Amino acid sequence: MTARARERAVGYLFVLPIVAFFVMFVGYPFLRAFYLSLTEWSGFATPHFVGLRNFHSLLDDPVFWKALRTTLLYTAVTTILQTTLPLLLAAFLNAGWRGSVVFRTLLFIPVVISFVVTALLWQLIYDPNFGSLNRVLHDVGLGALAHPWLADPSTVLPAIIVVSLWQSVGFFMLIFLAGLQGIDLTLYEAARIDGANVRQLFLKITVPMLRTVTGVVVLLNLINGLNAFDIIYVMTGGGPNRASEVLGTYLYKLAFGTESGATPAFGYATAISMVIFALCIVVTLTQLRIARRARIVG
Amino acid sequence: MSVEAPGAARPAARRFAGPGGQREGRYRTPPAIRRRRAARRSAGYVLLVALSGVAVYPFVWMVLTSLRPRDTVFSGGFVPDQLTFGAYTRAWSLLDFPSHFMTSVVVTALTVVVVLALATLAGYSFAKLHFPGKQVIYVVLLSTLMLPATALILPLFLQMKNLGLLNTRQGLILVYIGVSLPFAMFLMRAFFETLPDELIQAARVDGAGEFRIFWRIMLPLAAPGVATVVVFQFLTTWNEFLLANTLLQNTALLPLQPHLFTVTRSQHATDWTLMCAALTMSVLPIVLVYVRMQKRFVAGLTLGATKY
Amino acid sequence: MVSRVTRRDVLRGGLLGAAALAAPGLLAACDKGTSSGGGGSSSGGKAKVRMWTWYTEQQEQWPKLIQEFQASHPNIVIENRIIDYDAYLPALQASVSAGDPPEIFGPHVLAITYGKNGIAADLKAELGEQFLADFFKSTRDEYSDSGKQYAIGWMAQTFGIFYDPAIFARAKVDVPETWDDLIRVSNQIKSSTGLLPCVLANNQGGVATDFVLPLITQAANNPQLVLDLDYGRNGARWDDPKVIEALTKTEELVKGGAFAPNMNGIDDEQAQRLLYTGKAAMFYSGSWTPQGFAANAKKPFLQRYKVMQTPAWTAGARHWCGNQAGAGLSVSAKSKNMDAALEFIKFLYEPVRYAKTMNDSNSMPSTQAVVDQVRDPIVKVMTSWLLNGNGAPHILFGKGSSGAATNAFTALLGGQSTPQKVAKTVQAEVEKARTR
Repeated sequence: MTARARERAVGYLFVLPIVAFFVMFVGYPFLRAFYLSLTEWSGFATPHFVGLRNFHSLLDDPVFWKALRTTLLYTAVTTILQTTLPLLLAAFLNAGWRGSVVFRTLLFIPVVISFVVTALLWQLIYDPNFGSLNRVLHDVGLGALAHPWLADPSTVLPAIIVVSLWQSVGFFMLIFLAGLQGIDLTLYEAARIDGANVRQLFLKITVPMLRTVTGVVVLLNLINGLNAFDIIYVMTGGGPNRASEVLGTYLYKLAFGTESGATPAFGYATAISMVIFALCIVVTLTQLRIARRARIVG
Repeated sequence: MSVEAPGAARPAARRFAGPGGQREGRYRTPPAIRRRRAARRSAGYVLLVALSGVAVYPFVWMVLTSLRPRDTVFSGGFVPDQLTFGAYTRAWSLLDFPSHFMTSVVVTALTVVVVLALATLAGYSFAKLHFPGKQVIYVVLLSTLMLPATALILPLFLQMKNLGLLNTRQGLILVYIGVSLPFAMFLMRAFFETLPDELIQAARVDGAGEFRIFWRIMLPLAAPGVATVVVFQFLTTWNEFLLANTLLQNTALLPLQPHLFTVTRSQHATDWTLMCAALTMSVLPIVLVYVRMQKRFVAGLTLGATKY
Repeated sequence: MVSRVTRRDVLRGGLLGAAALAAPGLLAACDKGTSSGGGGSSSGGKAKVRMWTWYTEQQEQWPKLIQEFQASHPNIVIENRIIDYDAYLPALQASVSAGDPPEIFGPHVLAITYGKNGIAADLKAELGEQFLADFFKSTRDEYSDSGKQYAIGWMAQTFGIFYDPAIFARAKVDVPETWDDLIRVSNQIKSSTGLLPCVLANNQGGVATDFVLPLITQAANNPQLVLDLDYGRNGARWDDPKVIEALTKTEELVKGGAFAPNMNGIDDEQAQRLLYTGKAAMFYSGSWTPQGFAANAKKPFLQRYKVMQTPAWTAGARHWCGNQAGAGLSVSAKSKNMDAALEFIKFLYEPVRYAKTMNDSNSMPSTQAVVDQVRDPIVKVMTSWLLNGNGAPHILFGKGSSGAATNAFTALLGGQSTPQKVAKTVQAEVEKARTR
C-alpha cells in the first residue's frame, strides 16, 4: 500500500464511527426536519405538503423580521464580547502566579450552572423591587440608574446579553487557556531579549498563535448566537412585546407554546429553523475559507 | 542590558518574567517604575476580584438559600440568621436522590467516554490526515450544531420510536452522544491542528503505525483539549433536561436534573430552598471533574518548554 | 522503510470505535426490568393506565390515591408522571405524534384540537351527561366544541384582587366596587402610606390576557364576544368598539396610577412577595396564589390577608371575573385501556375524595358538589364566584390569538401603545396567523 493510500484508508476509518452515529441518530431526523419545513403539520396525523408556502409566509411576517434583526444584533454583540473578554482573561490568568487558579475556578463556576437556574437567579437579580442590582445601585448612590431591566424594551436585550456573558466567559476562557498551553514559551523569551514590551508580546505572539482556537471560539459564538433560545425564553419569553424575541424563541412558541394557540405550527416553525440553519452554514463556510487562506499564507 | 520602556509597566508583565520573579537576572527596575507597576497590578487585581464576585454571587446565593428556613428566602438579609439542613434531607428523600444521581452518573460517564473516543479519532483525522471528501464530511457533521433543538425534537422522538429505543436509558445515551459529537469533534480538530506536522512525518519515517502515532504521540500532546472536552461534555450532559423529559417516559429512569426541576417547580411556584439544596448537591460532581481536569492544563506536555 | 496500515492499527481503531458503540448496551441489562418499550397496553396481565400532568400541586397526594385505587382495582396499574411545566408540551406532543399518547393527560390548550382530531375522547359519550353536569359551566365550556366535551377541569381558578386589610385601614380606604374606585383607592394608598397600590405580574405577558379579556366581557356584558374573537366567529373583530372601550379603560387605569410600576418586569412569585412582605396593598391574580402564600409567607400575614372580587364596570354591574380551568384532564380516545382510565377518573372525582385532594393541596375544585367542603377561607370565597355565574374567559385558544393579544396588551400595559393601535395590531396578526 502506498503511503497515500494508507493515509486515506486510516482517515476514513477514524471518522467511520462518528459518521455511523450521525447517520443512525441524527441523519434521518435531520432530513425529516428539512421535509417538515415544506409542510403544514400540527404534530399528529400526516404532514400536509405545501411546498414553499411557509417561506412565503415568513417573508410577509413582521414578527419574523423583527426576530431576525434582534437575533443578528444579539449574535454580533455576544460574539465580540464573548471572544475578546475570555481571551484577555485567559492571557492574564495563564501565568503561574499565586491565586490564578482560584480566579480561574471562580470565573468558571457560572458555566457549571444549568441555563434554567441561571435564568431564574438572574431574574431575581433584575427584579425591579427586590433585586440585588437595583438595591446595590441605590446603596452606592446611583439610584437614578435603577431600571426595570427586563420590563423596559430598551434595556432588556443588554440585560440578557450580560447574563449570556456571565455564563459563557468561563467556558471560552477555558478553551483559550487550553490553546495557550500549546504556545512555545521560548518565543516569548526571545522577544523579551529583543526588547518587546507586554503589549507587543500579546499582540505579536499570543494572538497570532491562538489563531485557530480563536476561530473556533468565534464560530461557536456565532452559531450559539443564531440559535439563542434557552436563557431568553425562561427570562422574558421573548417579551415584553417582542422586545427580546429572537428566532429561537419565536419558533419554539410556534411549535410548543402560545404563538399559534391550540394548533401547533410545526411546519412553519421548522421553516424558521431552516433560516437559522442557512445562516449558520454561511458563517461556517466563511470561517473555513478564512482559516484555510490564513493557513496557506501563514 | 535592556531596559523596559516605562509605559510598558502592567500587571500582566509578571507572566513573562522568569521563574524567579522579576528580580531574577540582569537588572533592577527603578523604584518609580516599580511603584507604577504595583499600582497597575492592584488595579488589575481589583478588577479581577470584582469580576469573580459577580461570577460567584448567584451561586453563593443559591448555597445560602439552601440553608435557610423556607419562609425567610426573600425576607431577611443576604446571610441567613438561622441555618437549617432541612432542605437537604427533604431533597434526599423527596427526590429519591441516590437513584437519580446514579442514573446521571452512569449516563454522563458513558456519554463522555464514547464522545471522547470518537471525537478525538475524528478530530485528529480531520486535522492531520488527508482523504478525499474530507471537507464535505466535516461540514455535514458540523451541521448538526446548526439546527435548533426545537426542530429536531419531534423527528428525533419518532426515530427513537422506530428504533425501539424510546423510554430507555440506552436510547437517551445514544442520542446524547449523537448530538454532542459534532461539537467535541470540532474542538478536538482545532486543538490537533495546532500541533506540528513534523512529528507525524518523523514518526512515520520511524515506522510507526497510524494508530500508534495518534495514540502515543498526538493525543497526549492534545491533553489540554481533551481536558476541555471532558469538562464541557460532562457538564452539558449532566445538566440536560429537555431531551431527557421527552425521550424518557418513566420517571424512575430520569437523570437527576429533569427530575429535580419537576419536583421543585410547579406552574406558579418554586420551592426555592428545596431546589437550591438539590442543585448544590448536584453541582458537586461537575466541580470535582473540573478540579481534576484542571491539573491537565498545567501538566500538559508542550514542546520543550518549562512551566511554572 | 515503508509503513503500512498494520492489522494492529485497524484492530485498535476498530476496537476502540466498536467498544464505544457497544458501551451503552451495558445499560440494557439495567433497563430491562423497568422499561416497557413505551407502549401502554399491559404490565403483567393488568391494564396499565398512564397519566401525564404537570400538577406538582398534588405531588404528595398522587401516590396515596393511586395506592388506594390499585387496592380496590387489582387489574389496573396506574403509572403517574408529573412533568416539569416547561418540558410538558414537547413530551406530550411527541407522544401524540408517535400515535401513543398516555391514557390520561393534561390537555393544556390542545384539548379541542386533539378532540376534533380523534386524539382526545368525547367525555360526554364516555362519562355521561350526569357525571359532567356537576362541573362548573365555565370549566366545561373551554373544553367543549359542537356539543362534545373533550376534557374536564381538575383545578379550577378564578381571578380576584388579594389585598392587605391592614394597609387599607392605614390609608382609610374601602374595597373598591368599580375600576374608577380602584384608581382613587390606589392613589389614596400611595399618598398616605407611600406603598405600592395594585400589583400586576406581567413578566412574560403572564397576566395580560387574564386581565384584559374579562374587561372586554365587562364592557360587552357578555362573555360571548371574547369567545367569538378567539376564533373569529360571527364576524367578531378585535377593533370592535367594545374591545376598544376595554382597552381604553386599561389605559386609564395604567395612566391613573392604579398599578405598581414596572409590571412587565414583575413575575408572579415576585408579586406575591410584594404583598406578603407588606410592600404592596393589592395583587390581581388567580386562585393559585393562596398556595404560594401558604408556602412562603409568615403567619401574621396569612391570618389577615383577604381577597376581593374583580371590580365592576359600573356601580352595581356584574363582577365578571376570569375563570377557566387551566388544569384539566383528557382521556386518550384510541387507547386500549380507556375503560380503566375512565374508572380512575370517576374514582378521582368521587366527592369526598376529590374534596380531600383539593383541600390538602389548597386547590380549587371544579365540581359543585365539593364547593361547600373547601377549607381554606380565601379559596372558598373565590370558589363561590364560580357559582354566581360571573365567569368570563381569560385564555385564548385560536390560531395566533394568544401570541398576538399577549404581546399587544403587554405593550399597552407598559405604556408603549394605544388602544387603537393594539386593536389594529392584534387583528392584523390574527388574520395572518389564520392563513398559515
